[in-house]
Amino acid sequence: MDIRFTDCSVSFGERVALHPVTLALDERRIGIIGLNGSGKTTFARLINGLVKPSTGHVKVNGLDTVADGRAVLAEAGFIFQNPQHQLIMPIVADDIAFGLKNRGLPVHEISSRTEAVLARFGVSHLARRRVHELSGGETQLVAMASVVVTGPKILILDEPTNQLDLRNRRMVADTIEALEEDTIVITHDLGLVEGVERLLLFHEGRLIADGKPDETVRCYHEVAGC
Amino acid sequence: MLTSLYVEGRSWFHRVPVRAKLVALLLASIALFATDSPLPLLAAFLLAGGLYLSLGLTLRQAFARVGFVFFTILVLAAVNLFLIPLPQVLALALRLTALVLLAAAVTATTTIGAFMDEVTVLLKPFERLGLVRAADVSLALGLVLRFVPDIFARYQAISEAHRARGLPVRPLTIIGPLIILTLKDADTIAAAIDARGFRRQ
Repeated sequence: MDIRFTDCSVSFGERVALHPVTLALDERRIGIIGLNGSGKTTFARLINGLVKPSTGHVKVNGLDTVADGRAVLAEAGFIFQNPQHQLIMPIVADDIAFGLKNRGLPVHEISSRTEAVLARFGVSHLARRRVHELSGGETQLVAMASVVVTGPKILILDEPTNQLDLRNRRMVADTIEALEEDTIVITHDLGLVEGVERLLLFHEGRLIADGKPDETVRCYHEVAGC
Repeated sequence: MLTSLYVEGRSWFHRVPVRAKLVALLLASIALFATDSPLPLLAAFLLAGGLYLSLGLTLRQAFARVGFVFFTILVLAAVNLFLIPLPQVLALALRLTALVLLAAAVTATTTIGAFMDEVTVLLKPFERLGLVRAADVSLALGLVLRFVPDIFARYQAISEAHRARGLPVRPLTIIGPLIILTLKDADTIAAAIDARGFRRQ
C-alpha cells in the first residue's frame, strides 16, 4: 500500500479529533491501537474518505481522498466496528452482490464472484441465510466477504474481533491473517496486532508512537497506566 | 414479510420471471374487483389456493404464512354480515383471500434480490422523466426489509431493560430511546452504503 498523510488534521466544530499528522504507510500489515476516543477510527476513516480532512490531505495509491473520492473507495475497503450495520441487504448473497451491482457488472459475473468470495471465506452455506440471523463470527466473515468481493487493494478493519467469543475471535483472526489484501487493523485486541509490520498508537488525537509492535505496545501500557 | 416468506424450490411458478408474476398479480387484482358474483370469485379462490399449495409447502407451513391475514378477513366478513347481504359478504371474503393467496405465491417464489432488481427496472422510465431514482427506491425497499427485524429486536431489548430496572413497559417510554438509537445507527449505515460504493457508477 502507498498511503500518505500530509499535515492532516480533523476537527468536529471546536473539538479536535485528530491533530496534524504527516506520515507514509507502505507496509502490508499495519495495526492501530489506542484508548477509546483516541482518534484511531477517525485516522482510519480518513484513508477511504469516510472522513474528510479539515487541513492537509491524504493520498491513497496516488489518489486524493477528497478529489478522487469514488476511486479511493474502490482502492480501500472499510469493515465497520459493528458489521451488522455494514450488511444492508436482508439476504447474505444479495448483500455480497450489492457492491458488485453498484459497479454495474453483468449478472453472470456478479453471481460467479459472489459464489467465489463466499467459498473463499468458508461461508457458502450461508448464502441464502437472513443477515439478522447470523452469529457474531458469521456476520464478521460475511462483512469481510462483502467488501473483499469488490476487489479493494487495501482493507481497513475497525475492531474486527469486538464482541466475539474466543472461538469466533480465533476464526476471524486467522481469516485476517490469511488475507491477500494489504490490511490496516484498528483494535483493542493486542493479540491481533502481534504479527503486524508496523503498529501506530494514538492518544488524545495525537500519533504518539509508531514502530514495531513490541515497542508500541509497551508505550500503550504506559499511556493506559497498566 | 418478504424476508421470511421466500421458499427455496423448483416449482414451475419459481421459474416464472418476476416481472410476469408481478404483472399477473396486478391484472388478477383488477379482475377480482371486476365482479361481485361469488361463483367466479370462488373459482379464483380455488385456483389461487391450488397455485399456492403447489409450491412445495406443507399444509401447516402454508397456513402459518397466511393464517393471520385470513383471520383478519374472517373478522371483517363477520362484521360485514350485519351491514350487507350474505352474497356480497361471500364475494368480499373470497376476493380478499384469493388476492392474499396469489400475493403469498409470488412472495414465496421471489427472492428479495430478484424483486428489487425488477423494481429498479420497472422504475427506470420514471427515472428518465426525472421523477425518481430507481436504485434509491430499490435500496430503500431492501433497507426496510433488512432492518425491520433489527428494530424489532432493539424494541425487545429496551423492553427487557425497562423490566430489569423495575420500570413499567409502556410503548410511549420505549419509542423515544428506540428512535434515538435507530437514528444513531442510521448514520453508520449511511456511511456503510457510501463505503460500499452506492452510485459509484
